[in-house]
Parts: sequence; C-alpha cells; structure tokens
Amino acid sequence: MPFIQNTEADRAEMLKAIGVGSIEDLFKDIPANLRLKMSDPGMLKLPKGKGELEVTRHIQELLAKTKNAGDYAYFRGGGIYNHFVSTLIDHIALYDGSFITAYTPYQPECSQGTLTFIYEFQSSITALTGLEVANASMYDGASALAEAMMMGKHVSEDRHRKENRNTFVLAGAVNPEYMQVCKTYADVAGIKIAQVAPGADGRVDGNALAKALTRKVFAVAVQSPNYLGVIEDVEAVVAAAKENEILVVQAVGEALSLALLQSPAESGVDVCVGEGQSLGNHQFLGGPAFGFFASKKEWLRKMPGRIVSETKDKDGRRAFALALATREQHIRREKATSNICTNQSLCALRALIHLAAWGKQGFVELAEHSVAKTQYAIQKLTSVPGVKLAHTGAPVFNEFVIQAAPGLEKKLLKKKVAGGLPLDKYGKGRRGQYLVAITEVTTKADIDRYAEALAEAMKGKPVAV
Amino acid sequence: MTVLANPAEKLLFEVSKPGRRCLRLPELDVPKVDVKVALRGAKLRAKPANLPEVGELDLVRHFKNLAQKNFSVDRNFYPLGSCTMKYNPKINVTLLSLPGFTKAHPHLPEADLQGHIELMVTLESWLSEISGLPAVTLQPAAGAQGEMTGLMVIKAYFESKGEGKTRTKVIIPDSAHGTNPATAALAGFVPLTLKSTADGSVDLAALKAAIGPDTAAMMITNPSTLGILEPNMVEIARLLHAAGAQLYMDGANMNAIQGMVRPGDYGVDVMHFNLHKTYSVPHGAGGPGAGPIAVASHLEPYLPTPRPVRNADGSYSLDSKRPDSIGKVRSFFGNYGALVMAYIYMSQLGREGVRRNGENAVLNANYLRAKLRGVYHIQNDKACAHEVVFTDKTQHEQYHISALDIAKRMIDYGIHPMTIYFPQPNVVGGHGAMMVEPTETESKETLDFFVEVMKQIAQECKDNPEIIRTAPHTTPVSRVDEKTATTNPQLYCPMCIA
Repeated sequence: MPFIQNTEADRAEMLKAIGVGSIEDLFKDIPANLRLKMSDPGMLKLPKGKGELEVTRHIQELLAKTKNAGDYAYFRGGGIYNHFVSTLIDHIALYDGSFITAYTPYQPECSQGTLTFIYEFQSSITALTGLEVANASMYDGASALAEAMMMGKHVSEDRHRKENRNTFVLAGAVNPEYMQVCKTYADVAGIKIAQVAPGADGRVDGNALAKALTRKVFAVAVQSPNYLGVIEDVEAVVAAAKENEILVVQAVGEALSLALLQSPAESGVDVCVGEGQSLGNHQFLGGPAFGFFASKKEWLRKMPGRIVSETKDKDGRRAFALALATREQHIRREKATSNICTNQSLCALRALIHLAAWGKQGFVELAEHSVAKTQYAIQKLTSVPGVKLAHTGAPVFNEFVIQAAPGLEKKLLKKKVAGGLPLDKYGKGRRGQYLVAITEVTTKADIDRYAEALAEAMKGKPVAV
Repeated sequence: MTVLANPAEKLLFEVSKPGRRCLRLPELDVPKVDVKVALRGAKLRAKPANLPEVGELDLVRHFKNLAQKNFSVDRNFYPLGSCTMKYNPKINVTLLSLPGFTKAHPHLPEADLQGHIELMVTLESWLSEISGLPAVTLQPAAGAQGEMTGLMVIKAYFESKGEGKTRTKVIIPDSAHGTNPATAALAGFVPLTLKSTADGSVDLAALKAAIGPDTAAMMITNPSTLGILEPNMVEIARLLHAAGAQLYMDGANMNAIQGMVRPGDYGVDVMHFNLHKTYSVPHGAGGPGAGPIAVASHLEPYLPTPRPVRNADGSYSLDSKRPDSIGKVRSFFGNYGALVMAYIYMSQLGREGVRRNGENAVLNANYLRAKLRGVYHIQNDKACAHEVVFTDKTQHEQYHISALDIAKRMIDYGIHPMTIYFPQPNVVGGHGAMMVEPTETESKETLDFFVEVMKQIAQECKDNPEIIRTAPHTTPVSRVDEKTATTNPQLYCPMCIA
C-alpha cells in the first residue's frame, strides 16, 4: 500500500494491544450515520490511486496542455520574473530532504541548520535593504504589504493615541495584485485606502501626494521600481510624510533592483517589504516564492512573523533560536501582531543560496545586464513605427511601458513572442499600452525578434502621437 | 589542545573573500551601458550590498553541514503533534521540477494555462468531495490565511444580509491553536474564549450560554488539539445555525477523519485544509504550505477571485467576475507549486488511500497511547484520533522533570520532540502537554522503538534525572539560551552591513 508500512499482521497486533476489534471502533465518536461507507461507490468520489509511472504520465499529459516562459521570447513580468535559477538551489533546497522535510525550528538543539540559514537570510535582507530587522519571510510581496499596513496601524495606535488615524495611502503605480490584497485586509480591519494616481512621467505626483498625506494617514506605501517599471524618488515620499509622522513603507516588486538603487535605509523608509521570487525562486504560476519584510529597529516589537536571533548554548557556544515569540499568535493569541504561522521558509533558503552563489559582485552584474538589455530593448522597440515609451523623463530599471496599439497580443504569440503584458485593465487611458519586462535571461535575439514581430503587427495601425 | 575552527562551521558572511563566486553570466550581447547614465534621475546606492563571496565547493559544504544539524522526516521520526509530519514522496519534487511548472508564468494567456487550470479545478473537486462542501478556493497560502479567508467570507455573508454590524463575536474553545483567536482579531471580530469540559470536548451548556444574536461564528478544531474527536459536532452545528451563526472548522487535524466523515455532513459551513499536513506538501523548514478553504453553497459567492472553472465545452478559464467576492488574499493563484505537490500525492492515494491514511494515522496514535499508558499520564484516556496527548504529571510530581526536559532528551535518541508548547496547561489539568502525532507513514517497528525510548526516558527520570535536565548531549549545541535571544536580540551578522 503506497506510503503505509503497517501490514495486515501489524494492524491485527496493534488493534489487540489497543483492545479494540476493528479500526472503526476507534471512530465511535462519529455518528454511525455520518461515517462514509466505502462499499457505496457514490460516497467519496475520488479516482483510483495511481502508481509513480502512471502519475508521471498523467502530469506530462497535463503539462502538454500548457506553455511556459521557455516556449517564447519572453517579456512578461508584472511581479513574477523569468530569471535564471541555478541548479545549486534545487540540489540543496529541493532534493536534499534535510531542510524541505523539517518544520518550524521550535526545538533549536535539533534545528540549528534551519535557524542558521534563517539568520543568514535575515542578514542578506539587511545587506540589501540596510534595515536592521528582517523577519524569516511572509507569504508573498502582496501579503507582506498588507501586513505592513496592519503594522502601520498598530504603530500609529501607540504613537498617535488620540488621533484615530485610519487611512493607508498607496502612492503611485502599485502592483494591482498588491492593491487588491491590501484592500481585502483593509476591508475587515476597517481601514480606508486612498490611492494617489501616478503623474504623467509614471512617478508619484508630488502635489497630489502632499495633499493626501494628512494627519488621518497612518502609513504611506510607495512601490519602487513601480508597477510601470519606473524608479520612484522614495526620498521625496519620506520627506513628504515626515511632517505628519506618517510611517513610510517601500514595496519592492523586483528584488534585483536592490542591487543598484538607493537602499531603503538610505532613502529613510521605516519598512521595506517585497516579493522575493526574483531571488532564486521558480515562477510556479506566481508561487510559492516569498515576501520579505524589513524594518527599522524601533518597530521590532510590532513586526509580524518569525525572527531568529543569535544566542549561546549553555556551554557558551554560538547558537541560534527563535526570538520575540511574544509577538506571535501561539503565545499572544488575539493580541498577536499577526496570525502568520507557517511561512515560506524554504523559499527564503533559496534566496540565500541565490544571493551567496552570485555574491557581492555577481548580484550587481545581474542587475547591470538587465539594465543594459532594457536600454537596448527600449531603443529597439521604440524604433518600431507607431511605438513609443508611455512615460518619459523618469528612469526605469528592467520594466517599461510602451504605447503601441490595442490587440497585438495574439499576433505576437503566434510569432512565439510573449510580448509585454497588456495594461488595458490596469487603468483608464492605458489602451494599447504594454508592460515589458527584461531579465538576464532575455537575449538580444529575443529582443530583435520582438521588435520584428511588433513591426509586423503594427503595420496599418494608426501611429501613436 | 587548541580548538581548530572548521571553515564549514562559519557563517557565509564570515568565510567571504573578495573575488570568490560560484556563478557567472554569459558575455553581454547588447551594448554595455554606464548604469549612472542609463538610470539618470534615479538615486543609486552608495556601495554594493555586502553579500557573501564564496566558491561553489564551500557554498555546498556550508549547506550540507547545516543539513546535518537538522532533524527532518527523511532522517528522523518526527512526531510533532498537530503538524502531521508524514513522509513526503520524492516524486512530488521531481515532477514539480519540470519546466512546465518552474517556468509557468501567471501572466500567460489562459489558452497556455489550460493544464494548470484543469489541475486546480480537479484538486478543488477532490477537496470538495472530502469536505462534503460544494465550493473550494485554493488561494490561501497557509492554514492561518485559510482561517482568515474563511472568516472574511463569513463576514461578507453577514454584511450582505445586513447583519455585518451586529454579528461581531467569534467563539473559540480554549484548547484552540493560537492562530484561531489571532485570526478572529485580524478579521475584525472579537474572539470569545469557551472553556472546554474536563475531557477536552465542547461544553454544550457553556456554548448555549455564549451564543447570542452577536455571534458570527464558532471556530472549532475537530479532532481537537487534544487529539479527541468532538462527539457533539451535529448538535454544535445545530445550535449555531439556530442562532443564525456559522460553524468554521479548523482542518489542521483533518488527517484523522479524511474519508471517514465529511465535515459538511456535520453541518460545518467553512473549513480549511492544511495541504502541507494532510496531503504531504513538504513542510519546508517552516513553509510554504497551502491552506485552501471549502465552503457551503450559501458562502460560495464570497470566495476570492479568480476562480478556476471548467466550461461547458471542456475548456478551462479563470473567472474574476464575482461581484460579491471578498477580493484577493494572496497574489495570483496562491502557492501553486504546493498545490501541485498535493495533487500528485492525492493522485497516488486515490479513494482507497485517503480513507486508509486516516485509519492508519488513528491506529498508530492509539497504539502509542496503549503502549505508553501508565508510563506517562494521559488526561483523557479514551480512544484518540491521529494524536495522543500525554502530560508530564508523573515525572513532574515525582522528579521535577518537565515536558521540556523530556522533549530535549528525546533528541539524544534521534527522535524529534513532540509538541510541548500547546495545548496550554489549563486544558490538560495544569500539566505540561506532550502531544504526539506519529502519522500513518511510520512502521510498527519505529513506533515500538519510540515506545522503548519513552520508557527508557521515564526510567532515567528516576535513576538519572540530571541527564534529562541537561539534555540534549549529542547535538552540535547543548541546551540553547532562548531567553537571551529575546531579551537581547542579535538579528543579523554584523558583516552584512560592514
């Protein structure tokens, strides 16, 4: 029997030891009329079990009905990116059972492997963000931002006791997946979300932001690079939030950007959250990857999620352990900072391996290649008649929006080009716009093919003005 | 003798040396650009992030060394109660590594995702069949997020009926896992703690007294965290429904009753599954998991979007046009990779396997209960479900040895400790709980070994208590000072910001 080692003889012996006649006798607290009769094929309608050979065939058949980023010249991002993932990562995190078949390191003496990698992961996030406290991971970038919102509310309840601040501002072009998740969390928490639309250059409109940041606002979030690929002036947001003591959260959708851009700590934000998929995690249709969450030290005790600290064993040797559990649900119950329990630890391990395997210089080179290829792609695509950049005057990292014509997607797919993501649904006035993503995997040949297919598809279309 | 430091014992940041690296990029095939020029107008970081620089062999050795410092299901019996640490079949990760999954991008057109949507629709149908509830969402990333989604759905339902403002309370038994009250608070409800009876089940009289017009729902864990099947589920559901409230079932312990009873048949309105427990998604040193919820038909309109659906012509699509939906709780489709592993596992189990798993999980737990009865105190010595809760009563009263000490000593015998941090003492007679969940995948020989170890530890409590109090003795570190970790936290390696 698959995965079960008890034989009939074992079972008989065990039942005897227990002192019951049958296994069903152990389920007497379930009313007899509700117990499923396996003899009735109408009950528990599940297929017959498959062996390894059969299930492998079945999965291959399912996958034959799909296409993936590898089947195209691929230009889609929007939160999940087609990056290279080293084989080192799968060998350590996936095929070696030591990490993947362990659980939360509640017993530090037999979990130093997990605790050490979490500590090293936290250190890596601190290296990238400059912020002193990073937790052991959140579900994804979107829920990490929602948790930052909840934390901002709690911080404000302490800092501005009598003010009852209740508004969370999303400044500029934030990933719609993040906005939707924040809205779901905000709805039940009674938090009001206010959005400040991006200006013509794709960045936060400074005047609109200044107006929005009243003393009703407990926190403001800005995504940089934002959903349109544009690099925001995060420092300016921090400055605008200062007067009214508003907590500033930076969201990062493309973690590779941290290699080159001013670090969140340098910009002066209180909290930085983001999606870690770009760091050694496969795409998997959007998950599992992980959310990262880093904060200034002063908000440590308001932070969600697990945190690992260095400490010592009773013989004075270095050891690691879970810390500050009094913030967490298993101790603090309804007064916990969050309800998160199971997180995305293994994905954080993948990020650590990725960052260490590329290393200080390699990680910068990854980003530099993306920038160079992005610049080439901008030049190539905008040289197609009728195609131009949708936002000019502000810098981009590895994503940008082109203004072309509506309805190009299918024509490009036919040419084996998964061109930029159509933005029609993202907001008004975005018909014919496409969000184009570039990574180190993108080749010059891919870009040339995209430009060629785009030129072909644009023939006869009105020229954008 | 001088203690010699093995570099493999150091942190990556400590062995870092400029110029070392594992990976390199292909030669740039487009014109090189000056980043300062290309990103003109953007503020750049003053210096590169201080990531470690290591060679490939040292990197591999570092992690293999860490691997040896971990107990895991692949190497150790891991009876961590409430976590269902069953064997994770290797085929799961092998198939998950196919490019069809690893390079599946969420923004591909629907036509390219047909096999994935089909997989999700099928998995939903299986969970629906097992739960006895007609509609399922796979979006929640973990059990706690499933709980939150479930309560959000309940809230939306009451709001649609105009009762959103009045139904503010969620009743939660005192034996519940801490996520339940934390979730209720996060979802904007007031949690109301319900004291359990002496045998750990729901006190019906207390429940009747607690239910009122302000009750939105009760969250019940069945089997309970004491490993006991709740005998009055039908009556509990009836009482709640009579008052217009909803019954939420925490499915953390679903491994015990899968294929034996469908929660929907009890009258449960919403439940969550922990696919990393019941359906063998590896626990990943803390995650990722997946926490789908199943709901009764009156709650379906409120489930998160997009919903994967099968069309009349046999094609599949993603439906986002659900005006009453609570929205999204996680980006894209949740932890899809975890869902794939659960799907592969359940494909192998099939109908018979689902039932068999539950039966053997319960058999194994009861076998341990029978064999260790009298050695360790059991607060509720009746047939248990998939886990058995012992306490440290005997050892504590006679030798001042706590559940924690016993847990630490188990490590010396190569067994991962059981759960000792909950249920809280107030629900196990004021003693330290030792919650043992063997799961169905362990052999009788392993269970017998465990029994012998636990007997020997009980004997040691009498003969050599010091060896217990100072345990473990065989691990890379001795007992860890967890207090200092909290009072004086050191949360990053100083070299990372050097």
